[in-house]
Amino acid sequence: MNRFDLLNKVQNILKDNLVICNIGLPSQELYKISDQPNFFYMLGSMGLSSSIGLGLALSQNKHVISIDGDGSVLMNMNTLATIGNRAPSNYTLLIIDNGSYGSTGDQRTFTDEKTSLKDVALGAGCKNVIECSGEETVNELNKAIDDKDNSYVIISKINSGNVKIDPIPLNPITIRDRFRKFIGKVKYL
Amino acid sequence: MKISKKIIDNLKKGGVDFYLSVPCKLLANMIDILENDKDIYYSAVPREEEGMGICAGAYLGNKFPCIMMQNTGIGNSVNAIVSLLQLYQMPVVFLISYRGTPGEPVGAQGGMAKITEDILQTLRIPILHCSSEKELDKISTFSKHAKVVESPVAILCDFNLMKDDK
Repeated sequence: MNRFDLLNKVQNILKDNLVICNIGLPSQELYKISDQPNFFYMLGSMGLSSSIGLGLALSQNKHVISIDGDGSVLMNMNTLATIGNRAPSNYTLLIIDNGSYGSTGDQRTFTDEKTSLKDVALGAGCKNVIECSGEETVNELNKAIDDKDNSYVIISKINSGNVKIDPIPLNPITIRDRFRKFIGKVKYL
Repeated sequence: MKISKKIIDNLKKGGVDFYLSVPCKLLANMIDILENDKDIYYSAVPREEEGMGICAGAYLGNKFPCIMMQNTGIGNSVNAIVSLLQLYQMPVVFLISYRGTPGEPVGAQGGMAKITEDILQTLRIPILHCSSEKELDKISTFSKHAKVVESPVAILCDFNLMKDDK
């Protein structure tokens, strides 16, 4: 299973939640599978998908799923400490861990060598850290969303590999405004 | 405490209701005030760049965020400012302790102080430079301005203004 297969499998769960999606191919693949107003495609700022989702979860009550990657989490690892100490129960971090920098040509990341993001997340103070296969991810995501008392970090271990795909044609302001309108916050739209 | 209280009062008057900080001794009094304020959200955050991301999420959730940091934090955050906050036109207030300005005892702070305003100008970020207590009165209007122009804005608080705020 690669990232595109996994996103296909979880798309129905994503549709019912607020989603912050990681830069590059993850966002492009999700856009191709199913574009929704409640999907925020992060077009720049590699590493910050988990942090944006955290800020969003702290600011309103709907459930938030941040989709991040192993390479991106390695770039902003301190955010696991913030999540471990501050994440509310309406927050789930889904790390798609394929052991490679997919968007830049599948160079290996350190999770393909010695680094365990599960151990890092636990050490950073995250309590409910699940490492699972791509096949198990749907089930684990559902459990995380159903648990109204705890936040989760789910590390989905999959194979590397990408689908050939175009950049997202949406204007950033369009992405922003339809997302905020979905939450019910933008009055001028 | 008078200066710190005035800054926070003005930020709140400007509508800011979500605060993060990466600590600085010049911000310590403000952090104390915010930690005891039940009307707003406050948290420490390990790194400024990450804080920019959390602020972006807070804005999407209809909060008006502020990140408090040293001017060195701007250096840590340039891509997050340009490729996130400005790309999506998100209003965020940067409340910056301007280390390395006259009165500063730590020579190492001088390097970033020399280029802080140049960086902010290159980024086209509106600046409110506070060197005296009187200028703090402009903070609420300046914060509201961030929302009107849908842009991050920067408030620089000089070392000498903050250092004796006991």
